Amino acid sequence: MSDNTASDTPVVYCQDVQRIYQQESVPVYALRGANLTITAGEFVSLAGPSGSGKSTLLNVIGGLDGFDAGEVTVGGTSLGALNASELAQMRLEKVGFVFQAYNLIPVLSARENVEFILQLQGVSSQERQERANSALQSLGLGDLGDRRPGELSGGQQQRVAIARAIVTEPVLLLADEPTANLDSKTTSELLEVLQQLNQQQGMTIVTATHDPIVMSYTSRQVAMMDGEIHQDSAMAS
Amino acid sequence: MLGTLTLLFNLSLRNIVRYRRRNFFLFAAIAVAVGGTTLSNSLIRGWQVDMLETAVSGLSGHIKMQAPGFADDPSLQRAFSASTNVVLDDQLPVAGIAKRINLPAVISSERETRGVAMIGIDPADEAISLYRDFEVSGETLAGPDDGRLLIGKALAETLQTKIGRRVVMIVEGADGKSRERGYRIAGVFDSPTNWPEEALVFTGLQALQDTLATVGLDNPITELSVVLVSDEDRPSAAEKLRDQHPQLVVKDWRQMQPQIAEIVDVVDATMVIWFILIMSALTFGLVNTLIATVMQRTQELGMLRALGMNKQLLLIQVVMECVGIMVVGVIAGLMLGVLLVFGLGEGIDLSAFSESAEAFGMSTFLKPVLTVEDLLLFGGLSMLVGLFASFFPARRALKISPLMAMNR
Repeated sequence: MSDNTASDTPVVYCQDVQRIYQQESVPVYALRGANLTITAGEFVSLAGPSGSGKSTLLNVIGGLDGFDAGEVTVGGTSLGALNASELAQMRLEKVGFVFQAYNLIPVLSARENVEFILQLQGVSSQERQERANSALQSLGLGDLGDRRPGELSGGQQQRVAIARAIVTEPVLLLADEPTANLDSKTTSELLEVLQQLNQQQGMTIVTATHDPIVMSYTSRQVAMMDGEIHQDSAMAS
Repeated sequence: MLGTLTLLFNLSLRNIVRYRRRNFFLFAAIAVAVGGTTLSNSLIRGWQVDMLETAVSGLSGHIKMQAPGFADDPSLQRAFSASTNVVLDDQLPVAGIAKRINLPAVISSERETRGVAMIGIDPADEAISLYRDFEVSGETLAGPDDGRLLIGKALAETLQTKIGRRVVMIVEGADGKSRERGYRIAGVFDSPTNWPEEALVFTGLQALQDTLATVGLDNPITELSVVLVSDEDRPSAAEKLRDQHPQLVVKDWRQMQPQIAEIVDVVDATMVIWFILIMSALTFGLVNTLIATVMQRTQELGMLRALGMNKQLLLIQVVMECVGIMVVGVIAGLMLGVLLVFGLGEGIDLSAFSESAEAFGMSTFLKPVLTVEDLLLFGGLSMLVGLFASFFPARRALKISPLMAMNR
């Protein structure tokens, strides 16, 4: 991931993806044949009003939610054929998540939170510590590794969440409204961190947002409406 | 895998500490239930041990040997020789033996007459029987050749006689004819239970042989009572004695007192059933609280799934937390139970209910008995209950979708 330019290798490939929820036996179309291809090194924002399907698409790409029709491939793995256990393994190996509510494990320190996912991957103790320290250091949290989430500010917690997401060197970083709980200054700082990850390490990032500031930091803006891709800056250019 | 389990163990431990207030009440509930049940079961076990001791020490011993037909027609004609007919193997795990003549008799004072059992004993042998527990006023029997009587306090009151007075005993001799003889009362005994005081009269074995024995036997006796080192040795010892003494009837206390034997058996099952009942009641509360704990952490558990933790590991983590709570609660409960048992000291005085206690084969003092086996059994059963209780929150946790972490 040292390449800082986008290549043509598709990290995410969505073809005619449909997601239908049943609400009291009435079908609700969350995705109506969404098509999206994201190549390595892109920083993409999925934007749109509530109910547009941006979070659903993000969840489907992350293997957190299923889909009813179409095809989804992440890092060369087709998700349609995977069961729950295989999806969990796929997430563990290929996808890093940053949640709106940080979602750190409150009883673990910042360093342990970052190490946690490496431990799930079976990485050795020494390598775990080195990689966790390095990830925290790169996000300016070198001195805060021993603090628990409750002892950190919102911005610091979200940085720890990013460190946890990138420490496994995933092919894709998914961020769902990552700045929604942050003030404007912290939002800018965090977006710069994401931008640096994208530009300096070539990390492929997809973020769901409705915040124009977030969109301004991304290299590609995808607007969604009624479960479909409404506008895509890549297509427009 | 070991590293992952260590991680899950640490995570579980910290989560237990994290909700320390709620878990404290859980620990307390488990500890009180386990401690209380340990105490009540130690009393039940004490009752069982007391019944067994009463059964064994009440002249029967673990094993009793008699001549054929004596049980149906107790007379000196069915005596056997303690010198030539009995050979006790040195290998038998014997704590003591007592040779006796035990015959139905009639005792008369100037005012009353009663039917009793007249027992000729060697006092030195009776350390294995209820004789050792008697509190004697006056004098005890000096030896097997002591021709005086030791009678119970209740009998003395009934006969309106006392120490030093003479009473008349009528016993059937070896020739089938009644022997009538005057005896002086050497002492009056007070027994922990009432029936020996009312029904038993003791005199020296040799003295009684001299009075009654014309059967041509050397050292005639009607029963030989064997007390073993442990009741566990009883079946094999009885079998061995039967093989060695085919001319005698060899019975163990379970055959002689089948009702007591059945109660002793039922007690074992009762303890387990009682423990399971109490722990089942506790399980409802436990399951409810543990499920609430899981529901409270839906987002956190969903996040673990989202990050890639598989269902098996999530299951292990939830079970570890539940079992961890149980382990601490059960250990505290067992310690509490031990403290309570020690606190009870010598036991509970049941003398106010002596008649009822006797009906159940108990003495008038109930002493709790706590064995390592029982503690291990309670600990093991508690852990099984804990595992069972953890199944429900674990099942609930498995239903948590990783999406829940995203949607909250």
